[in-house]
Parts: sequence; C-alpha cells; structure tokens
Amino acid sequence: MKAADGSVMDYPSTKEEAWRYTPVDEIVSRLAAAATMPATGTSVSRQVVDALAGDHGGPRLVFVNGVYDADLSDHDNVPAGLWCGLADLSHGRAAANVALAGIDWAVDGFLARNHADGHDSAVVVVDPGVRIDVPVHVVHVSAPDNTGERADSATISHPRTIIDVGSGSRIALIQTYCGLDGRAVTNASTTIRVGRHAEVDHCRVQTESTAATHIGHTRIEQEEGSRLRMISVTIGGDIARNAIDVHLHGPDAQTELVGVNVTTGRQRHDTVVTVDHAASRCASTQRFTGVIDDHGRGSFSGEIIVRPGTVATDAHQSNRNLVLSPNAEADTRPWLQILADDVRCTHGATVGRLDDDALFYLRSRGIPLDEARTMLIGAFIRDVTDAIPHPSLRTHVAAIIAASNGMVATDPERMR
Amino acid sequence: MLHIANLRASIAGKTILNGLDLDIAAGEVHAIMGPNGAGKSTLANVLAGRDGYVVSGEATFEGVDLLALAPEDRAAVGVFLAFQHPVEIPGVGNMYFLRSAVNVVRAKRGLPEIGAMDFLGVAKEHMARLEMDPAFLSRSVNAGFSGGEKKRNEILQMSMLEPRLAILDETDSGLDIDALRIVAQGIERLRSPDRSMLIITHHPRLLDDVRPDYVHVLSGGRIVRSGDHHLAAELEANGYTSTLAAVPA
Repeated sequence: MKAADGSVMDYPSTKEEAWRYTPVDEIVSRLAAAATMPATGTSVSRQVVDALAGDHGGPRLVFVNGVYDADLSDHDNVPAGLWCGLADLSHGRAAANVALAGIDWAVDGFLARNHADGHDSAVVVVDPGVRIDVPVHVVHVSAPDNTGERADSATISHPRTIIDVGSGSRIALIQTYCGLDGRAVTNASTTIRVGRHAEVDHCRVQTESTAATHIGHTRIEQEEGSRLRMISVTIGGDIARNAIDVHLHGPDAQTELVGVNVTTGRQRHDTVVTVDHAASRCASTQRFTGVIDDHGRGSFSGEIIVRPGTVATDAHQSNRNLVLSPNAEADTRPWLQILADDVRCTHGATVGRLDDDALFYLRSRGIPLDEARTMLIGAFIRDVTDAIPHPSLRTHVAAIIAASNGMVATDPERMR
Repeated sequence: MLHIANLRASIAGKTILNGLDLDIAAGEVHAIMGPNGAGKSTLANVLAGRDGYVVSGEATFEGVDLLALAPEDRAAVGVFLAFQHPVEIPGVGNMYFLRSAVNVVRAKRGLPEIGAMDFLGVAKEHMARLEMDPAFLSRSVNAGFSGGEKKRNEILQMSMLEPRLAILDETDSGLDIDALRIVAQGIERLRSPDRSMLIITHHPRLLDDVRPDYVHVLSGGRIVRSGDHHLAAELEANGYTSTLAAVPA
C-alpha cells in the first residue's frame, strides 16, 4: 500500500504492540479475497436500515457497501450551522474539510487502503458556536450478495467519515456499522476534530453479521478545553478490531471513553485504545467492559501516553471482563508511557465469572436461570448502556445484545 | 405440608446434615435453634436449592419432591428463603427484580401479570408497614443497604411473593431492637392457616414476638430435641450444652 506521500505502507505486524492480539494475516487474506460490490442493485430498504441501525430522530447519512445512498439518507433539512454530506471537492464546505484530511493521515496499510480505495466519505461539519440538539447518524450497511455470481466472495467496503466540530459547538454523533447476513469485510476510518471548548457525544455501534470482518479506526483530535465522550459497542463480526486513538493537543481537554464488547460463538473482538496527553491539565477516562461467552475471545489493550513537559494530567483506565464459559478468553493489557511527573494515573483490570450467590438469590425468588443470567449480564454492562444518551439507541442496543447473547430481551428502561 | 425424612447433606466431603427428620403442617410455625455449626443454614440452603451440596434423603412439599426441583421451581411451588446474608446485586433495580419475581411466580401459578402501577401501589403499602422508604425500590438490589435494611427488604420480598413455605434464616441477626420489632411484626402479619414457616434463629428474642408452635434443637446435623416455645426459654436460661445434656437422647 502507498501512503499519501507515495511511500509504501505495509500492513502492521503482530509484533507491534497495538496489533498483538489481532490475526493480521487472516484479515489481510480476507481483504485480498474480497470483492467490491457494484454501486447499484442493493436490496437494502429503509425498513432494513431502521431495523439494523434504528431511527434516532436526527439527520441520517446511509452508505451501503461503502456507497452513499441518497434514497435512504435524510439530511436535507438540518439545523443551521450543521452541514453533512459527502466529501465532494466541488462543495466549498466539504472541500475545506477535506483539508482536514491533513490530520487524517494513514498510519498503517489498512488506513492507506481505506483512503485509497474508499468510494464515498461522509463529512459532518459544525460551525463554531452552534449547539445541535438532534444526533447526526452515519450508517454503514454491509450487504453481501449471497445469491448472485459473487456469492462465494465476501463484499468489501472502506467507509470513511470526517467530522469537524467548530469552537464552542456541541453535537451528538451516532455511527452504526451494521449488515445483512453473509461475509463482508469492512475497513473503516473515522476522524473527529473537536475544536476549542467544543463538546462531542459520540456513539459507535458495530453490529455487523457474525461472518463479517471489521477493522475500525477512530482518530480523535481534541483542542483546548474540549470535551469528548465516546461510547463504543462491539457486538458483530467474526473478527472485529476497534481502535480508538485520542490526541489531546490543547490544555484542559477532557475525554471519556466507554465501551463494551459482547463476544460469543467463535468471535474475536479486539479493542485497542490510545490516549495521548500532549497538553497539560487534561483528564481522560477509559472504561471498557467485555462479556465473553462460548469460544469467544476478547482483548483490550489500553495505552496512556503522557508527554514530557505536561502538568496536572489525570488519566484513568479500567477493563472489566465477564467470562461466561470455560472456553471463553479475555486478554487485557494496560500500557502506560508516563513521561512527566505531575500525573495522576490509575489502571485496573478484572476477569470474573457470574456471581453464583447473586444467581442463586435471583433464582430463589422464582426468576429462571436464563433470565437471572440476563439480569446479571445486563447489570454488568449497565455502566456502558446507561451512558448512551439517546433512549432509542439504548433500547436498540439492549435488544441486539440480548439477541446476540441468546439472552432474554429486557428493556433497559424497565431495569431502572 | 413439608415433610423431611433422613435428610443428609455434605459439602466438600464434610457431613453437615446427618439424617434430619422434620414435618411441618399447614399454618404451623416451627423454630430451629442450635449452636454454631449445627447445620441450620445448610438446612435452609438445601431446602431452597443452593448448589454445592451432596444431598440425599427426602424433602417434599405438598407431595412434590423439592430436591428434584431447580431453585426457581421451588419458588414457584411456594418456597421462600429469607437469606441470612442477602446478596447485593449492583445494577439490578430492586423494583425491576421484585416485579419480575412476582410476575414469574404468578405466571407459574396461573395468575395474570401484575402491572407496574398496581405493583407499585402494593409494594408501597408493604414498605410503609415495614417503615421502608419507597426510594429503596429505585435502588439496586440490596446494594449499599445497611444490615437492617437488607433484612426488611427480605420481608418485603416475602410479603410480595406470598410464599406457602417461608424459611427465615437468622433474619433477626444483626438487627437493633427497633428493626427487630418491625421485622417480627412483618413475619407475624404473614402468619396464616395456609402458610408454614420455618424460623432459624440463634436468639430466642425473635420468638417472643413470633411465637412458634414448635421449637427444635439442631445439633450435629439432626434434630436432637423438640418442644413448644418453652424450650426456647429453657435454652435461653441454660444454654445448649446443659439443656441438651439434661435430657437423655
């Protein structure tokens, strides 16, 4: 792969810390074998998008197999100060933000391929000083062709999203990566710039088919006094990697990263987080949770970097795992590079099973075993699901988690 | 109603219950007392279906073999255990938990589901009698509750679930005098001709408020002496060792 400067960029190696748990060779061979679907003729209807991604009330941009679908999208009447659409150089606004791609550089072969081969890029721009009340929803649907002549090969897409939030603005974003049954490879990149004193609430929900391969990279650039909260939910995919890189460039920025992976069957879910404190008085929290059943494997690598010369850094990280079967595996690895003195930093990790005493307590009150397990699993991940600020998304995610885990569906609104 | 014959239970190779016999008829309240390690809590746990014990013998409730049932099915036929140490379950709301339990048990008894508003009304009535703040409903199950609050929450659950056989495992332990009175009154209110109770206690104090029909002494995994409520007074006055020594086995 060639990078922007023309140099050849290789796929990463599992010798690199950030790729240690990911089966890179397998992903690369799946990428090589996958085929790009033609831009037309998909069978995705509005009802399908509603069912897979939910309708959360705001503007919605929908991409099918990496290609923008105007019929499925709704972003004609957006609030003043908000622009969303495609990265089309003919559009002045978008052009300005393709310049943002200056911070959206490829750091590995997967990103280089995303930038080189992606069809359409979603762009969301918020002008300075604007507060947007409705969430902007960017939906990527993988729709493999299971019947045609391509039935034997996986469908590939390279979704790319660029989000630029102006100074003092506030916005909520929802990104959904979902899909129809079948084999698909999604190689996704997202870049978010959070301007000075801007606030972003970002939910990333990945519910692709269990035959899908997902490589996701989210790069977040935060300026002075900005606040970002990201909730990431990883449920789908056979092999799925969710990388989040946060760069705190300006002082007094705050970052809260919350995530859950619900892993079962033979799924592999890797979460790789880096928070880079390059400015003083920034605060970051990483709270990641895994629920792993059957032969699933979940991993979490969380890196905290505190640059020399910074002061009053507050950085916290926790990773809790619930392992539900003897064959399930959870790997967790903190990775701290503290290069300054004035730092308050904590990290902790746990791997545990369901509490037998709690299970017996619930069952002794008449609650069947399955439902008791569901209640306890739901309680374990409530920290994450409760953090989702949109009730419709909260309900949507709870239903998908329940279905994926063979759990009894419970409405989180009722569990309060 | 409850018939226990030659009940044996061991855990990790250690025998705890060693041929226990006990019959409780409908409407009767039986108290079981005994020194530490006698097997009192094991009896309660084995009847409610806790895992981990190797159990043999007989325990039937209205002819149904309890030992063959999962804990939730025992609850459905009307068995309720008030825990000695109620479990804290952060993240599961008390109201959600309680309403789920009530509705599951109602469904198994062929009764219609109780709606949220009706449930809330009934729960608040019971809570008022137990001098519990309704705010406990919106908290997680037992999480951060004081010892007394947990025990009241047990009695609340018992009141809502309306069991046929209530087993109270040291419900009085750790309570101050006021809490003991409230809990005792809660138990006494549930006394009824079609509900049997098995009260496990260390202290005869509770039995002043909830007078049992029978008192049994459990020692070495079996019942070694039975009597009426006067036996509790005798134990209080003389202690287990001399009370048991005074009577030839």
